[in-house]
Amino acid sequence: MKTQTYVLNMGPQHPSTHGVFRIILELDGEVVVKATSVPGYLHRGIEKLAEARTYTQVIPYTDRMDYLASMLMNWGYVAAVEKLMGVEVPERAEYIRVIVGELSRIASHLVAVGTYSVDIGGFTGFLYCFRDRERVLDLLEMVSGSRMTFSYFRIGGVADDLPPEFFPPLQKFLKDLPSLCDEYDGLITGNEIFQARTKYVGIITPEMGINYSLSGPVLRGSGIPYDLRKVRPYGVYDRFDFEVPVGKNGDCFDRFVCRIKEIRQSARIIQQAVEGLPEGPIMAKIPKVIKPPAGEAYAEIESSKGILGCYVVSDGSPKPYRVHFRRPSFINLGYLDELLVGWKIADVIAILGSLDIVLGEVDC
Amino acid sequence: MFGQGLLKGLAITWKELFTRKVTVQYPEEKVPLPERYHGRFELDVDKCIACGLCANACPNKVIQITKEKVGKKQYLTKYVMRIEYCLFCGLCVESCNKDALKFSHVINMNQFFRDKVRLVLVDRPAPEALPEEEPAEAAAERPAGARAKTAKAEVAAGKAPGEEG
Ligand code: SF4
Ligand code: SF4
Repeated sequence: MKTQTYVLNMGPQHPSTHGVFRIILELDGEVVVKATSVPGYLHRGIEKLAEARTYTQVIPYTDRMDYLASMLMNWGYVAAVEKLMGVEVPERAEYIRVIVGELSRIASHLVAVGTYSVDIGGFTGFLYCFRDRERVLDLLEMVSGSRMTFSYFRIGGVADDLPPEFFPPLQKFLKDLPSLCDEYDGLITGNEIFQARTKYVGIITPEMGINYSLSGPVLRGSGIPYDLRKVRPYGVYDRFDFEVPVGKNGDCFDRFVCRIKEIRQSARIIQQAVEGLPEGPIMAKIPKVIKPPAGEAYAEIESSKGILGCYVVSDGSPKPYRVHFRRPSFINLGYLDELLVGWKIADVIAILGSLDIVLGEVDC
Repeated sequence: MFGQGLLKGLAITWKELFTRKVTVQYPEEKVPLPERYHGRFELDVDKCIACGLCANACPNKVIQITKEKVGKKQYLTKYVMRIEYCLFCGLCVESCNKDALKFSHVINMNQFFRDKVRLVLVDRPAPEALPEEEPAEAAAERPAGARAKTAKAEVAAGKAPGEEG
């Protein structure tokens, strides 16, 4: 019998794409023979908008890239501008950045873990993760006044000091967090159906991971312990004791498990940062009108999705000449077309979910 | 044994059944907002010197200020926020040296019509002259402030003059 392949559009309106993202799947029965990803539906031109804003005014726009971990997006941008200006950030500000940044990472990973559970078909796990993410958002709301788009970082420091009422709930949250992670492990990770759906599915070999310049839990799931906080510490990360969790097989399951382990490590970092929080100013001496010298700078930080890079070019005016972001979600997505080939259509969701993309960042 | 993981998951959900619930019945019950919450803006007209720093700090050109020169001083006649473009980033509040612009805890800014969205914080005619001698200045300033306050109250009630469109 003569058969032929057919084309199926997944997205752009599809809940499992975690935003507006389209994959054109060419299928032979249930098996993917070709996948073409089509990003761009959420493109807002943030990089271009930045050219018409002053250096400080760009910060709120970076929030809108990875809106699940806005603090880390802020950080990537201000780090680049600080490098360009040669600003020394005060210690206290660095510690505050670590605290809020890691909290943001926890919030982002909780979304990743929870939504992955939904993608695989377990709605319960999702609710547990979002229940606890709410606590993180409450904490960050106390600090910055917003729940998701914080705009809390400033060039040379942070906008405001940590309020005193922030610490008791933070301590309580850190105390609860290990048992909460055990709950996710019990609910999702240990579930046999979940394991059957994710183990040995969508394997990324370490070589391919490196060749495609993947980063974050997607790369570490393949067993490569490459975490910028460890291998090239920025800020004050060299002062903290934490581990970089890695996977073994590089399958969807390992990538997922890495995230839960990272949540535990983030909690350790926050605990150390709170204990070592020094007194002092939270802003460096920065002129009112920020005019970096003409030149360029590139800074990288480890965001929740991978390596966030920011490239800033200055022509000496108060507005950046060019800003470019290396968005980890976008780069991690580059391997998707090849990764999907040969897998069943149900696995497409499992694989896409395990990459943990956020479309605000993919399209920028 | 296969199925152990499933049972463990069930045990966790059973345990959760007996813990305190984390949600509230929203419109009747409300979670208190933190001190720094970015809600609707409020302007202390008496403190504002119409310097325009807030308007300059805004990345989205949300704030439109109209001022008139009365005597030797700048007099703020209109302070309109195109709040539909606002990012609630707080750069404007941060830039105000006079502590005039602040966030309130009002979160309900919904309107049925787009032209009502615009937030008019001050809309008043400039007086002929500011009586600048003696402490009468403070007395003269007060009615203006009071008028702005009624304007604010009107906005709160959702019947703000929407002539800005
Ligand atoms: S909060 Fe931000 S966007 Fe809104 S008016 Fe102030 S500066 Fe402009
Ligand atoms: S609100 Fe503050 S910054 Fe804005 S015009 Fe008035 S005094 Fe100046």
